[in-house]
Amino acid sequence: MHSPFRHEYNSLIRKLESIFTLTDDERQALQNLPMQVAMLKDNQDIVREGDRPSRSCLILSGFACVYKMTIHGKRQIVSFVIAGDIPDLQSLHLKVLDNSVSTLSPCRVGFIPHEVLHDLCTRYPRLAAAFWRETLIDAAIFREWVMNVGQREGATRMAHLLCELLVRLKAMGLVEDHTCDLPITQSEFADALGFTTVHVNRVLKEMRAEGLIVIDGTRLTVPDWERLKQVGEFDPTYLHLENKQAAA
Amino acid sequence: MTFSLQPIRVATGFDEEGMMVLDEEQRLVAVLVRLSDENEVAPGQWYLEAGFGPLDGGSHPLFSNLDQAQDWIGQRLEKGR
Repeated sequence: MHSPFRHEYNSLIRKLESIFTLTDDERQALQNLPMQVAMLKDNQDIVREGDRPSRSCLILSGFACVYKMTIHGKRQIVSFVIAGDIPDLQSLHLKVLDNSVSTLSPCRVGFIPHEVLHDLCTRYPRLAAAFWRETLIDAAIFREWVMNVGQREGATRMAHLLCELLVRLKAMGLVEDHTCDLPITQSEFADALGFTTVHVNRVLKEMRAEGLIVIDGTRLTVPDWERLKQVGEFDPTYLHLENKQAAA
Repeated sequence: MTFSLQPIRVATGFDEEGMMVLDEEQRLVAVLVRLSDENEVAPGQWYLEAGFGPLDGGSHPLFSNLDQAQDWIGQRLEKGR
């Protein structure tokens, strides 16, 4: 009964271990966390702004995003969400959600009741610290995105975002030979970067022509990591990864 | 409000021609670019590359032809008076 879920629980363990050192006991407690697992289609809201959730969602596989809408219906994606992330972890303490979370690709999502998380944090105070650290890093990522959208232009803005995604995916073991699956559409990149879709298309074309990236369907390959980092003015410090190698 | 169009080459980095849109006092209010036929998003469509005054802001619509673009710009300029 438990075994098919082991692997999925590991995405949370792997994520936390990329930013925090867990003991065997803590790992075991996470392994046994009860959650309701659901398979969601692409482009489906998981939670919406204004919701008062009684559970948080752990992304087990797939890609999602955190977003907000203007009153005129324009969407700003404020972060991309990958396996191991709990994009509404803050709802454990902030009762009303001030953002929405939507799948981008089909996702497997584990819903963990807040009472379970509260209980876990009471029994394992170090795990409470790990979750706190995770939300602090989320905030650091938001700060970097404000910087990126506000002050970097064109290919630099795009390259910075791709560098971040690659480093985060690598920490989760989802990058192989500088290649990863990245099912994010040009219009989703546009909503995240504050570009128009036409502009995203031009920037990606330019980056492909310069050999910075290779795109094959949803597969992204980065032939020269150091050059992409340089173009994106990328410094991974804000991701606060424990394993420095993942950020190299 | 009447406005006029003047062909202009725009350095988008691609093989794309454009139009300057001028109001009746010969002020530049917009630059339209005809996207190349190889464009992956909207091949051959007209794109509001830049807008000024009433056409300023985050809106960069695409138009399937120049007439449609002119209608939209006309309406916007009328509203902005």
